[in-house]
Amino acid sequence: MAATERRRKPPRRGSLLAAALALPGIVPAAVHAQSVHDRGWIELKYLDYRDWQSGANRMGVKSPSFYTLIPVSDTVEVEGSVVYDAMSGASPLYFNTLSGASGLGVTDYRTAGEAKVTKYFGGWAIGVSGVASSERDYLSRGGAVDLRIFSDDRNRTYAFGFAGANDRINPTNGAASNAPRNTVEFLVGITQALSATAIVNSNVTYSYGHGYFNDPYKLLDKRPGDRSIIAWLTRYNQYFAEPDGTLRLSYRLLHDSFGSTSNTVTAAWVQTLPAGFSVTPQLRYYTQGAASFFYGPPLGTGFVFGQPFTMDTRLSAFGAFTVGVDVAKALSDGWSVDMRFDYYRQESNWRPGGGTPDLLPFSARWILVGVTKAF
Amino acid sequence: MPLVRTTFRAMASDNELQLFAATEARARAVAAAAIADVARIEAKYSRYRDDSDTARINRAAGRAAVAIDAETAALLAYADRCFTLSGGLFDLTSGALRRVWNFRRAPPRVPDARALEAARALIGWTEVEWDERTIRLPRAGMEIDFGGIGKEYAADRVATIVTEQGIAHGLVNLGGDVRVIGPQPDGTPWRIGIRHPRKEGAAAAAVTLDSGAVATSGDYERYFEIDGRRYCHILNPRTGMPAAHWQSVSVIAPLCIVAGSCSTIAMLREQEGETFLREQGLPYVAVAPDGSVRGPALEPAR
Repeated sequence: MAATERRRKPPRRGSLLAAALALPGIVPAAVHAQSVHDRGWIELKYLDYRDWQSGANRMGVKSPSFYTLIPVSDTVEVEGSVVYDAMSGASPLYFNTLSGASGLGVTDYRTAGEAKVTKYFGGWAIGVSGVASSERDYLSRGGAVDLRIFSDDRNRTYAFGFAGANDRINPTNGAASNAPRNTVEFLVGITQALSATAIVNSNVTYSYGHGYFNDPYKLLDKRPGDRSIIAWLTRYNQYFAEPDGTLRLSYRLLHDSFGSTSNTVTAAWVQTLPAGFSVTPQLRYYTQGAASFFYGPPLGTGFVFGQPFTMDTRLSAFGAFTVGVDVAKALSDGWSVDMRFDYYRQESNWRPGGGTPDLLPFSARWILVGVTKAF
Repeated sequence: MPLVRTTFRAMASDNELQLFAATEARARAVAAAAIADVARIEAKYSRYRDDSDTARINRAAGRAAVAIDAETAALLAYADRCFTLSGGLFDLTSGALRRVWNFRRAPPRVPDARALEAARALIGWTEVEWDERTIRLPRAGMEIDFGGIGKEYAADRVATIVTEQGIAHGLVNLGGDVRVIGPQPDGTPWRIGIRHPRKEGAAAAAVTLDSGAVATSGDYERYFEIDGRRYCHILNPRTGMPAAHWQSVSVIAPLCIVAGSCSTIAMLREQEGETFLREQGLPYVAVAPDGSVRGPALEPAR
């Protein structure tokens, strides 16, 4: 959905196989390097996000970010990132009965940073990271450990991860005070090189959170105090020498104890062009069911006052398409630039069998520009 | 599919229930069950009945805690949220002000500062000790009043009961607070008039609904005027004075209890009322001090 997409992290670069490493388009999707990178790099990116409904602007985000990866020895590399979001606007509208739209509601800033150290041994690697994120009413701190084990022929990587986060929610209206939320997440994954030109990666993550999940700014919003999510993500990347391009496919199935199941299918084509250019068109389809306690129109059936309830349209049932294109150009001396545009549209009737009726369609677009310098 | 319209009196209001059912007998049976629940809620929360929960809680003010059931606890929890989100303007304990504001008195009189101060000293939701099983008002003379949400809650209960009985098209109107159960059988939405705050029997605007609720708070239900200034019954617990900006505010929400409390809070927020409703993401129709009608749910009255 849009809110999570907006905050997705920029893709991290890595590699799996020496052969695959050299292929255009394979690299960004694989996060399974088997040794320290030869060169480090710095990325500066700027994201401009905007969404709208019924022709009226809702939320806007301007977000500069910084990322670096530095190999510090033959076996150790460090990564660091900082992102700053400035958000303004209003949350999505509810009913279809509107004949006009309202103005601003929210202004907020978020600053987040992450640091990671990875140590490579012969047949395995371990990474330790810490992350912190701060908004006016939200503080999150977390840590993660990941372990990767490489097969003797280096064609297979097993990944195991554990992450924990401790959040503190302090709504500006005082609806909660220092309300805690603790989350743990486990990951098990496998990456297999099928050939020198094809890689498949599949992983399962399970997360469990306990604490405050309500929207503190809504009169009637009460959600369960526990949330578990299980997600299965499979990615397949295939390089084709003839057009010198790579096909990327992925599928994610996610089930949430809030009662929602979502499916995401993504297809992208990375086409290498002369003069250091590459163009990557991408199409994504996403659909989710509504949370068991989401009440949109028609209302009333079985609702007991005091039971979990939300009108948050992000928990409604809908389908959504994202179309995007990324244009990158490698320059001399390790410099490269890229620019990405994505357009997202969500409609309730784009869900097979129909989504939540009478919800207004929701649209968003991302513009991302970046500069990278390898050293 | 016959439409059966039932009118009844409860909660000091004229009420109506419109139900489409397979047979008229079926509609009447469902209406009877729904009206019985309205009567149950009135008996449980009325300030005027000695055996109500409200009366028991108020009688014990300054003394012992009173046991409550899950339904009352849920209403208290909702009122608590209203208190927080309104910055203390929606306060279940502000009933003490009603004792000093008499809207039936002739000639009318604005209470003096000392009387207002004494009443305000008995207001304070944050001092109330309550949890899921008990409530205690800490000082003698304090009182709680579910009047701001009871009728709206009853309308939501009617919708639940009627839906559980298999009815998919209907409307309940409890003293002007309307909850809709699905569109009309031919799919057209219900068209609900918004009462004109200054012209008895006229509509200032209309809204269309095929689900959810619309509730209105206005300065015209109980009021008096002195020297051209209107003093209405919607009282600000912080100042002790009536809300003084909007002639009326009607809010559309999925539940009538949300529509009702938000319209009251918007009245009390005065100039900031529209900002509050936008934050809640709820459509509304507001009649401004000059009588002009505005808001994102507005449709012209026919």
